[in-house]
Amino acid sequence: MSRALWLPGLPPLLACIGLLVVWDVFTRAFAIEGLPPPLEALRQLPGILTDPEALLNIAASLKRMAIGFVLAVAFAMPIGLWMGRSRLIAAAFNPLFMVIYPVPKAALMPIIMLWLGVGEASKILVIFLGVSLPVVYHSFQGARTVEEKMLWSAAAMGVGPAGRMLRIVLPATLPEIMVGCRTGLVLALITMVTSEMIARQTGIGNIFFTALDMAQYNDVYAMIIIIGVLGFVCDFAFEAVRRWLVSWADSPHTIAVGSA
Amino acid sequence: MDAAPQQIATPASTNGKTRLMQKTSDAMIDIASVSKTYSTSQRGDHLALDDVNLTIEEGQFVSILGPSGCGKSTLLYMVGGFVDVSAGSITVKGVPVTGPGPDRGPVFQEFALFPWKTVLENVMYGPLEQGMPKKEAAAWARKLLTLVHLSKYESFYPKELSGGMKQRVALARTLAYKPNILLMDEPFGALDAYTRTRLQNELLDIWERDRKTVMFITHSVEEAVFLSDRVYVMSPSPGHIRKVYDIDLPRPRVRAELLLDRRYQDYVVSIERLLDEQDKEFA
Repeated sequence: MSRALWLPGLPPLLACIGLLVVWDVFTRAFAIEGLPPPLEALRQLPGILTDPEALLNIAASLKRMAIGFVLAVAFAMPIGLWMGRSRLIAAAFNPLFMVIYPVPKAALMPIIMLWLGVGEASKILVIFLGVSLPVVYHSFQGARTVEEKMLWSAAAMGVGPAGRMLRIVLPATLPEIMVGCRTGLVLALITMVTSEMIARQTGIGNIFFTALDMAQYNDVYAMIIIIGVLGFVCDFAFEAVRRWLVSWADSPHTIAVGSA
Repeated sequence: MDAAPQQIATPASTNGKTRLMQKTSDAMIDIASVSKTYSTSQRGDHLALDDVNLTIEEGQFVSILGPSGCGKSTLLYMVGGFVDVSAGSITVKGVPVTGPGPDRGPVFQEFALFPWKTVLENVMYGPLEQGMPKKEAAAWARKLLTLVHLSKYESFYPKELSGGMKQRVALARTLAYKPNILLMDEPFGALDAYTRTRLQNELLDIWERDRKTVMFITHSVEEAVFLSDRVYVMSPSPGHIRKVYDIDLPRPRVRAELLLDRRYQDYVVSIERLLDEQDKEFA
């Protein structure tokens, strides 16, 4: 019995089944109008996942999320590293980022829509903002704690300041950067759905909130399951990439969300 | 050991401070009237090193011995060009030190290996940086790994190695770019007593091959006497040279023989006495 529990994937599977059972018992006991039994919601999944329109919406969402995420990492990582290695830059930017960090990015959506309209640009910008801050923060924290002697060793070999940044600080900080990226990925998913809720045109958030407006609760819960699975798959894939990239690192920064 | 630096007392005024002008000496490393001041926001300026004079001849193995906080590592960092001097001058082969360079290879207590590189890649890093072709660099790195008894571990990552093995890699990595001077900053300080003595023996074996100039920082009296041609003893607050010992013991040195050697014992005992005295002054 105890050995069977250690099969990879079994404990999380049991937890999922447990959740569905609790959900089912709850709906039978209280019969709330907006809460369909889990089987009803699950029954909607094949329909949604074979509907070309729904798939186009999901693809549009993932594309936005990917663009926002990549742009954010490309922007935030160099800034974080630079802040970590220059006291002046850190002193200039750190307070600014600390003020922006707790602001819910989706709350800025209405303002951004005034500037950029309801199209792609607004949504990508909101995702970008959501992802940037954790990546800046972790790159910054990682870069400032790079072992000084490692940089000195490289300097003695003749590696110049730019080379040290790119070839010593960047790889040395990579494990910490990956922690920021992982948080960023989850935030990308959240900001993606909420931005689509506010500016409804296409996307997962659009299907979700349109179903909610029309009181199609089975579809609403089916979408919640889809979003949850999407998050799980993204995180699982990211964790695989992370492990491959920083397998050399001393202490694996594992926060097992998707991975057993 | 008679090549004391020629000093001519020509006061040169810099920012109202008077320093001694140092005539270029032919010593490998010449540290002349060097001071180091750190400015702290709370306690104002803190004098870490006060008027240190020290020379190291080519091919000499010189140790700087002192308690923690006496600034001995700072002195080494300044020779390496990693830390600026506040006053005075440091020259290497008559050329003032302005920054790090491959002529001075550091080996740190913290090993400072590149953890994302394998053992072989770590050792190849310097030669590649100096423009050696990849194949040649790999062959050369393997040779050095054999020298430090680590040829079986070339594909390992630093995290998979013990402290002693890491320090062997660090030594090989530094030797790989052929510095004229080895700057060793308490290299065996983080190792257990057994590994420490093994590595001391290995270091001497390697040193006997080409007798590079070595500046070696330590707080172990036995280590300093066993390895060195000359030992500078430093006192803290502010750090300054307390006394110089020329260690006149035959080479190549064998630990077991030295332990029975009266001269070795005398050096160790007289340095220990000096350190005891120093402790009482600061108690």
